[in-house]
Amino acid sequence: MSNPTDPSADVADDRLTGFEAELARLRVSGTSSTTEQRLLVAGIVLMPVGLVLVLIGWFGASGTTEFSSQVPYLISGGLLGLGCTIVGAVLYLRHSLARYLRFWLLRVVYEERTSSDRNVEALHELGQILRNRAPTDPSAVPPREKETQP
Amino acid sequence: MGSELPSPVLELTGVRAGYGRIQVLHGVDLIVPRGTIVGLLGPNGAGKSTTIGVISGQVPTSTGAVTMLGHDVTGAGADALARAGVCTIPEGRGMFPNLTVDENVWMFTHRGVSTREARDIAYDHFPVLAERRSMMAGRLSGGEQQMLALARALATRPSLLLLDELSMGLAPIIVEQLYEQVAAVTAGGVGILLVEQFAGHVLDVADQVAVMVNGRIRAAGRPHEMAEALSGVYLGG
Repeated sequence: MSNPTDPSADVADDRLTGFEAELARLRVSGTSSTTEQRLLVAGIVLMPVGLVLVLIGWFGASGTTEFSSQVPYLISGGLLGLGCTIVGAVLYLRHSLARYLRFWLLRVVYEERTSSDRNVEALHELGQILRNRAPTDPSAVPPREKETQP
Repeated sequence: MGSELPSPVLELTGVRAGYGRIQVLHGVDLIVPRGTIVGLLGPNGAGKSTTIGVISGQVPTSTGAVTMLGHDVTGAGADALARAGVCTIPEGRGMFPNLTVDENVWMFTHRGVSTREARDIAYDHFPVLAERRSMMAGRLSGGEQQMLALARALATRPSLLLLDELSMGLAPIIVEQLYEQVAAVTAGGVGILLVEQFAGHVLDVADQVAVMVNGRIRAAGRPHEMAEALSGVYLGG
């Protein structure tokens, strides 16, 4: 426990003051997994909504031959719908890809670690075998045979 | 926990959390006062590591609050908390086995501590690591690996240290050495949460102990008061 008369208490206070300042600067905006999940769902919803808007625009514009009447359908149906579809697709791809890549990265790290563990274990075993054989078994190193000329 | 203790570095209030639909923590209340070691004990599957995950920002909470020095940090990212001064040593040590000891320490300079300073701190605490600084971390013994994990953590000058199963798979003498270093760190005002399945060493080193069962804190108090609660949990008494 920190003692107020201890000189290390000043160091402790400095450290905790720094920590408090860092905590005050922290931006806490809810859990990232929730935000990500919401954006993924938003992407899934926006894609069909955009397509529906495009269809509404097409039906509206096809009902009249007058260009000035077709413009509002083109803007609110066509462009807005297209925008919604594109934004939805980007959100969906961005967050589903992020999920997949995160999983893939974890998998690679896990595989790498397992492989390293196996190699280290094998090296230890090999070292152990060599250590055991060297002093006790002189036949461990085979005698060099006389080289014979053919 | 007693009111005479200094204001907490960490406080969990009614924290519920889990993985997907599986609820692991069912309303956890826990306090880590500054400059103290709090041991969190409990059987396998009690939710101890999940508690560490929640505090370090790796596991999101469904309800409840995590506060540090009075600031609500519920939902803060693991990276932001690590930069602020929350350091976690996970179960399994979390080292880079294919990097050297020096490089492993170098990886923990994210809080602005210079590489030289980080190495000085790490090797001051564990001189044996200085002798093996060029060795691959994966080739160190289990005890040395845990020393490295602890040395790296100390090199970040943490304000809150979370240790998950520090003694796992280690010889008692090594565990004793590690806990000596852990106890020394609290003099700097650091709050330490020590999660362990086995109570032996924790009861010697901790200022406070909490016993967790099935995602709830069943008992909390000073180590000598916990014998009954622990025998109930471990022996079913």
